[in-house]
Amino acid sequence: MNVALTEIHRSFGKNEAVDGVSLELGPGVFGLLGPNGAGKTSLLRMLATVLPPSSGDIRLLDRDPGRPTARREIRRRLGYLPQSLGYYPSFTVVEFIEYFALLKEMPSAAVPKAVAVAVERVDLGAKAKAKLRTLSGGMLRRVGIAQAIVNDPDLLLLDEPTAGLDPEQRVQFRALLRTLGETATVIVSTHLVEDVGTACSEVALMSAGKIVFRGTPDELTARGAGHGVGDAPLERGYSAVLSAARS
Amino acid sequence: MSITSVPRPRPAPSRLAPPGSARALRLEFKRNAVPYVLPLLAAVFYLNAVRTADGFPPVWTLRASTITDQMLFEFTAFAGGLAAWAGSRDGRRKTVDLVAATPRPAWARQGIALAGSLGWLLLAYLAGVAVLYIQTALQATWGGPPLWPVFVGAVGVTAVAMIGFTCGVFFPGRFTAPLVAIGVLVLYLTGFREALGITGSSGTAALLSPATSPPGVDAGVYYHVPPDLPITQVMFMGGIAVGLFGVLGLAPELRLLASARSLGSLRAALAPSDGWPLRGVAVILVASGVAASWAAFALAGTAKPDPVGGWEIPALHSAASDQPVPAAQDCTSPPAFQVCVHPAFGFYLDDLAAALDPVAAQIAGLPGAPVGAREVPSLSGGQDVQSGIAGNPAEFEFTAEHVGTMFGQFLGNGRDPVGWREGFQQGLLDAFLTGRPPQAGQVPIPLGPAQQAVEDALLTAVRSQPFSPSVTSAGVSAAAQRFAALSASARHAWLAANLAALRAGTITLAQIP
Repeated sequence: MNVALTEIHRSFGKNEAVDGVSLELGPGVFGLLGPNGAGKTSLLRMLATVLPPSSGDIRLLDRDPGRPTARREIRRRLGYLPQSLGYYPSFTVVEFIEYFALLKEMPSAAVPKAVAVAVERVDLGAKAKAKLRTLSGGMLRRVGIAQAIVNDPDLLLLDEPTAGLDPEQRVQFRALLRTLGETATVIVSTHLVEDVGTACSEVALMSAGKIVFRGTPDELTARGAGHGVGDAPLERGYSAVLSAARS
Repeated sequence: MSITSVPRPRPAPSRLAPPGSARALRLEFKRNAVPYVLPLLAAVFYLNAVRTADGFPPVWTLRASTITDQMLFEFTAFAGGLAAWAGSRDGRRKTVDLVAATPRPAWARQGIALAGSLGWLLLAYLAGVAVLYIQTALQATWGGPPLWPVFVGAVGVTAVAMIGFTCGVFFPGRFTAPLVAIGVLVLYLTGFREALGITGSSGTAALLSPATSPPGVDAGVYYHVPPDLPITQVMFMGGIAVGLFGVLGLAPELRLLASARSLGSLRAALAPSDGWPLRGVAVILVASGVAASWAAFALAGTAKPDPVGGWEIPALHSAASDQPVPAAQDCTSPPAFQVCVHPAFGFYLDDLAAALDPVAAQIAGLPGAPVGAREVPSLSGGQDVQSGIAGNPAEFEFTAEHVGTMFGQFLGNGRDPVGWREGFQQGLLDAFLTGRPPQAGQVPIPLGPAQQAVEDALLTAVRSQPFSPSVTSAGVSAAAQRFAALSASARHAWLAANLAALRAGTITLAQIP
């Protein structure tokens, strides 16, 4: 099991951001949906081992991230794209990805090839030597995705990965997700339900720190039958589940 | 969702030497902020350190003092600010989560980022030292480059960079770097010594600051400069650097402690974990740094002035450094008025001889007139040596302190070779007309009116400027003009007849022909 969460809680002061989430995931693309403040980013940060849970048990890649040695091993096999991607403006695309490949402790000899593959996978070959400060928001997002996948991770966490991507890039990105999901556990947190519908084999919907729905995209769509809010069937399912959860 | 077996584990790299450290360091070095400010640093370095050094006589110890007195002023301000900029990078650029999710420990990441900045700063610092030392090597006539000031400066840059970097890590923000730079600048401007109130009696711990006033012009020429103080300064600043590096290693625990709101979270922060070897190393570094700095502080408190103008620390002092430095003096050729200087001051021997020869000719053959001039150390028993006439045959003994005005060092009025020449001639005549021997102690009392009038006349006779009439009285000026109007032989004859009375102060202005 790549991800095993048992009754995870995380609070910030009096605010319970994640409230008793339990989840077990193997390889595949897993969509995490929910409105703003639902706890998606906090959950992803805990999965990325940068935020410890207030309580509950987390096992990632069959290891306990609470133990430093195990955490280091997990991180070596982890790819993470935060919601707000920071970057070093003076680095070029290749240098930034290479830097993170090195921070992920990839063998030095393997780094150049891995960087080149990652750059090509996000279609940034033409901008490989451009300084990050010269790139558009969408291109920076792709750089972020490239650094996340450069180490060929077994657990890939993507927080709003398609924000800023144009429609063509989003289509390409969904294809990339499907490919990655064949061998790794890919968790995609997003507001965009169409990403989930086309790329994810399973989806969870969070509201107020809890998982209020878990199933396939088709099952979520079915929940929307007869519900009037939303343009697309999946959106109607999303709205229906949320409405039910709030009531 | 399918459930499959966990992917095969990947080989764990060495804990001590994670792979790719050299490549990561290359990237940090390549994309560092320091090179962008190097032109500004170079300009400040030229305007401050190079020009100050240029105003000093080309004597190694004196020129090397600009490393700690001037260079460190600008280099530490830049080092502190730039290191704080590097240390605050992840906070400023919002990459904290991104880097925290990588397996490389924060300490190792920070070490690489610090090394990138520190490497540039030390390279720039060493390039600055090279400029100063090459400039000195082209002009100096004796000795070689002192290495202790270089070492003290390098450790100073490292310590301030460490302080800046640590501030950047703990207080990331776009204002951290300028605040650190300004803080270092203010510390330097006010001076550790003034800040700590160092005086002859108020303790000597402030000697730990490398910023000092320039040493005597012949420091390190006649006697070695003992390494006691540099050793203590290196211990103190090195201790700060090592201790702060340890603090960086404990940063996660310190953050947990700072945010601990309950006994449970405090226990969690202090709980043993399998990261203890790293914590242990960090604690040892902090303890070592504190111990070194504390020991240096205690040692500096025992410092006392040595007889030749430096400081000695009894626990570190070696008697070998008290021995005179052997050197044969450089002299002009006899049989004319022979002028001898230490070879370190050989660069001004010809100028000195040209200044003294005409005055010596005016008094040649008179009782007690010197047949030569010889340079002696400017300090004896911890006191300034005043020039005078001694020996048989008589010699004018002077110190190298006079050379400063040649370079505009001491008066702050720029180069003044004419003023220097006339000052030197006055020094010789002062000693001759009063008959005083060289002595260590207070500046001698000024000449009497008749002595001053004769000196002014003799200076006028060799086409030098006498004391300004605004300084001397109208009577002195009138007597000097009368005496200068006499022929050289008439002046010589009058001096031969009246020198004893003139020295005794019994000649009046009216008695001067």
